[in-house]
Amino acid sequence: MINVVGANKSFGSNHVLKNVSLDFEKGKTNLIIGKSGSGKTVLLKSIVALYPLDSGSVFYGDTDITKLDSKKLKNLRKDIGMLFQGGALFDSKTVLENIMFPMDMFSQMSNKEKLKRAQFCLDRVNLVGANNLYPSEISGGMNKRVAIARAIALNPSFLFCDEPNSGLDPTTALLIDNLISEITKEYQITTIINTHDMNSVINIGDNVTFIDGGEVAWRGDKYNIFDSKNQHLQDFISPAMLIRSINR
Amino acid sequence: MTFFSEIGNYSVFLAKVFNKPERKRILFKEFKEELIKLGINSIPIVIIISLFIGAVITIQTAYNMKARLVPLYLIGYLVRESMILEFSSTIVSLILAGKIGSNIASEIGSMRISEQIDALEIMGVNSASYLALPKIIAAMVFNPILYVFSVFIGVLGGIMAGSLGGLISVTSFIEGLQFHVHLYYIAYSMIKTVFFGFIITSIAAFYGYNVSGGALNVGKASTKAVVNSSVAILIMNLILTQLILN
Repeated sequence: MINVVGANKSFGSNHVLKNVSLDFEKGKTNLIIGKSGSGKTVLLKSIVALYPLDSGSVFYGDTDITKLDSKKLKNLRKDIGMLFQGGALFDSKTVLENIMFPMDMFSQMSNKEKLKRAQFCLDRVNLVGANNLYPSEISGGMNKRVAIARAIALNPSFLFCDEPNSGLDPTTALLIDNLISEITKEYQITTIINTHDMNSVINIGDNVTFIDGGEVAWRGDKYNIFDSKNQHLQDFISPAMLIRSINR
Repeated sequence: MTFFSEIGNYSVFLAKVFNKPERKRILFKEFKEELIKLGINSIPIVIIISLFIGAVITIQTAYNMKARLVPLYLIGYLVRESMILEFSSTIVSLILAGKIGSNIASEIGSMRISEQIDALEIMGVNSASYLALPKIIAAMVFNPILYVFSVFIGVLGGIMAGSLGGLISVTSFIEGLQFHVHLYYIAYSMIKTVFFGFIITSIAAFYGYNVSGGALNVGKASTKAVVNSSVAILIMNLILTQLILN
């Protein structure tokens, strides 16, 4: 469970997050949606303390991440997995080395155990035959799957995904969505996903938060999002409704 | 103001770099890789430059000695002193600032804009230390070795140019090499190369680490890294020469 309380963040005169208060449930896929520039990524990076908040708190259980010193923050982050927009795999390492990296740094496992765990993670994301390839040698979808495998390598309690579907074709995007959702439920992880892909919302949106102009404008789930009275949200999802109407 | 804030940020960066590493075994593994990337891979350029500079110094010295009442073996002596005192330490370091400095700044800068550094931070890794420390140590260890290479190759270039051009015999050149040897000069220059290794890698890593925006800024950071580390080398050269030789 993660609680954000009264979060404010500015860059110069640009007030990006305005008194944002939210809670994210464990074992569910919590989606943050909004237009480009609405503050989604800033919110996500503030939650993981990559951006320090100007004011407000972010609680991981009972621990306020904004109050932690660097040593305690490092320890908490070992319990966090993050999938970045571009994958953020290490270019100089192979797929297998990328997944083993968190274990190399922080676990006491033997090399054999690390290999076994890395192989398990790769199998979990249905990626075979890519162990010795470098990130530049794999496709965008494979890149995202390796990034998910790396994010879950240390069995995190919290998973953050920043635009996991960006740059992917609809079929692969659906696969990635389902994978994140399955992993969330299987390991009872608190998962927060930043997206502007309405297909993701319809597919895996257990909890959905609409951010507009740095504020929480609407909260609900995939079942009631189309009934929302929020005009900005309706404008945001209208392309998806268009698809629906065409389907009908 | 910008200058002082950059010095402040550089100091904060160094404090982060010299934090206790997460895993010494990983640091050692990365250090070995950097030895190859920054050290061994720099040998060819050091060989080429030193060989030609040694040869040119020989030709220039011989040209200036024509019809003068100075013994020819002084050509060998001057080539040796030029290589030992200044060329193989300072000039080679300036060249390396261009080669490995831009390499480090662009490598780390690219990692910054592709969120690889954020990924390290999210994992709980001290990214500054993980990325910069192995490079700094490798350069400080390998720079003196490159210096020795450069001196020998430069002298070899001088011998070849002198004998092939008919300017001085090999025997006379070697006699000059053995004339009035100060081992202290070698120690002085080797100390300089250790400092220069630190300057090149730490400044380049600093600019790469603090890149923001896109690919254009990676290029700018790379240029800044080369220019500022070159200036820092020249200033440090002056300070160390004053401190050690006076």
